[in-house]
Amino acid sequence: MKCRECVEQLYPYLDKELTPPVETEVRAHLEHCHPCHDQFEFEALFLRFLHARTRAQGAPPELKEKIVRELLEE
Amino acid sequence: MAPDTPPPASDGDTDGDRAKRAAFEREALVHLDSVFRVARRLAGNAADADDLVQETFLKAYRSWNQYQPGTNAKGWLLTILRNSFINEYRRRNRHPETVDVDAVAPYAVFSEVQQEDPQRAFFDRIVDDEVLRAIDGLPESFRETLVLSDVEGLPYQEIARVLGVPVGTVKSRLFRARQALQAKLYDYAVGMGYIKGRAT
Repeated sequence: MKCRECVEQLYPYLDKELTPPVETEVRAHLEHCHPCHDQFEFEALFLRFLHARTRAQGAPPELKEKIVRELLEE
Repeated sequence: MAPDTPPPASDGDTDGDRAKRAAFEREALVHLDSVFRVARRLAGNAADADDLVQETFLKAYRSWNQYQPGTNAKGWLLTILRNSFINEYRRRNRHPETVDVDAVAPYAVFSEVQQEDPQRAFFDRIVDDEVLRAIDGLPESFRETLVLSDVEGLPYQEIARVLGVPVGTVKSRLFRARQALQAKLYDYAVGMGYIKGRAT
């Protein structure tokens, strides 16, 4: 696998959306290619950062109470 | 919306009603936080998001017989949410679209930060609100794809189902949305002095 082909699979690889054979090829490439490895690391860090910064917000308890009340009225 | 009224006496409740409610709470209401987060990013303001969430759960409850137990309740709820948003809320939507996804060079940020911040420490300094604001600046089709994937963790196939688009479209939107968001946050970090930024 060449660098260009590898980078094309970057997000699907990090999202665990590749078929096992392609995933194996990507992993093999990353093991010996430092530039691709660094790029994948950076994007993986970005996705973890994104997930961590966006999940703190949950529904306010009043909203849940309101919904439960509405269900009772149905 | 009717003013708050106390719940009616549950005398008229049959065992069937109670069973339905219990199943709904167990399988659907557990996804309230996810539905809320997606609604918040779609609607752009708290009041519309709350209404949208209430409406989603009410519609879901009324069509509960169409839901197949054990299938993906979260995806089902998010589909209802999105349809409600498109049909009733979208025109009121006041999202400031500030990110031009077409103008973003792929992987530009990675090459920029390589030299000066190899530990990527600038990520640590960008707070939640700033990330959410940047997401809110994405064009709608990119925003919803990114939220379903990166906030809620849905697989491509499920996102494609919720949005009614092919998986290939999900992939390409996700790529462009992430790159645009990254560029936006990078510019923000440079503006705040967290990193030096590219020479101009």
